Amino acid sequence: MPLVTTSRPAALLPWLGTAGRLLLGGVWLAAGASKITDLDASVRAVRAYRLLPETAAQVVGAGLPLVELLLGVLLVAGAGVRAAAVVSAVLMLGFVVGIASAWARGLRIDCGCFGSGGELAAGQDPTYGIELARDAALLVLALLLARWPTGRFSLDGLTARHVTKEPS
Amino acid sequence: MPRRPTPAVRRGGPSTLTVAAVVVLVLFAGAVGFGVYRAGARDGALPAGATAEGVTVGDPGAPATIDLYLDFQCPACAQYEQRTAATIDQLVASGQAEVVYHPVAYLNRFSSTRYSSRSSAAAGCAADAGVLPRFAQLLYAHQPPEGGSGLPDDQLVALGTQAGAGADFGACVQDGRYADWSRSVTDAASQAGVNATPTVIVNGREVDHTAEALRTAVTTG
Repeated sequence: MPLVTTSRPAALLPWLGTAGRLLLGGVWLAAGASKITDLDASVRAVRAYRLLPETAAQVVGAGLPLVELLLGVLLVAGAGVRAAAVVSAVLMLGFVVGIASAWARGLRIDCGCFGSGGELAAGQDPTYGIELARDAALLVLALLLARWPTGRFSLDGLTARHVTKEPS
Repeated sequence: MPRRPTPAVRRGGPSTLTVAAVVVLVLFAGAVGFGVYRAGARDGALPAGATAEGVTVGDPGAPATIDLYLDFQCPACAQYEQRTAATIDQLVASGQAEVVYHPVAYLNRFSSTRYSSRSSAAAGCAADAGVLPRFAQLLYAHQPPEGGSGLPDDQLVALGTQAGAGADFGACVQDGRYADWSRSVTDAASQAGVNATPTVIVNGREVDHTAEALRTAVTTG
């Protein structure tokens, strides 16, 4: 990232980190909240991809909503940002692979990203392109956060300042 | 001389403890979700003539089997029912086909009262009373709009009674007697790869949503 080399963008960098954290964390919170009330639907959505064996689909489908909420809270609060960003990137990569695979196999499903249970409404066509672009962008964002996890208004920053007194 | 790592890098890097804590939290969250999901899985009672997948109506020896995957909250299912009810009734009455109703609960998010699940469980009660096809038609005729609060249980009971169900129907609906069965029907449909309602399958092959397509598929086997 060339921004680091010049002084004025460097002052902007912590705010970019904060914005990225809030964006990715906000998406996780929205996605998790839309699924947590109906774990059955979340399991159906994972099943609809026809990639995982039944037990694995249940683990992923039922486990994902709470994991998404947790990642959202961590990122918004700015706690353990680098680790949360790495986990986010791994999940996003999984979603990108899953959606691309569904597209390639000609499945007609909804990505289930926000709690649809993977079912398309009647007359609704899949929107794999948009879903892929969105998740790929979020994957890049997660990777950037993993590389530059610092930012304003984060718990990490608070504790780091207390633990190590370093000149800035 | 080797240089010490710059302070900026040190401050940005999390401690091993932080990483471990986040990973453990993530795994724990996933395990809790899975535990809650599995704890809710129960084998409840089956309605009369039903399996864990659905309710069969008509002559079990009929040459053709029509699998109807439907959700009482789904507008396209109501339209399908209007277009094909007479054809389905005739195919069943003439012994050409048996119908397996799979009243799935896919669309709970479109009502504030989980109407998909409640109507699906009520369909089990109607199967007990032997009036499922008529009850399904009445539910579609009175289908609540998506995004509303669904039909109240009282109205489900009234429609069941109108379809010819007996005195036990009311208690069956009010108690949610077949709530677990509804969940198993929904899960079985999902495992069978059904991702949309309505889905119509004749002898294992999916058919278009018209009465002609249905009749053709049944008569040509």
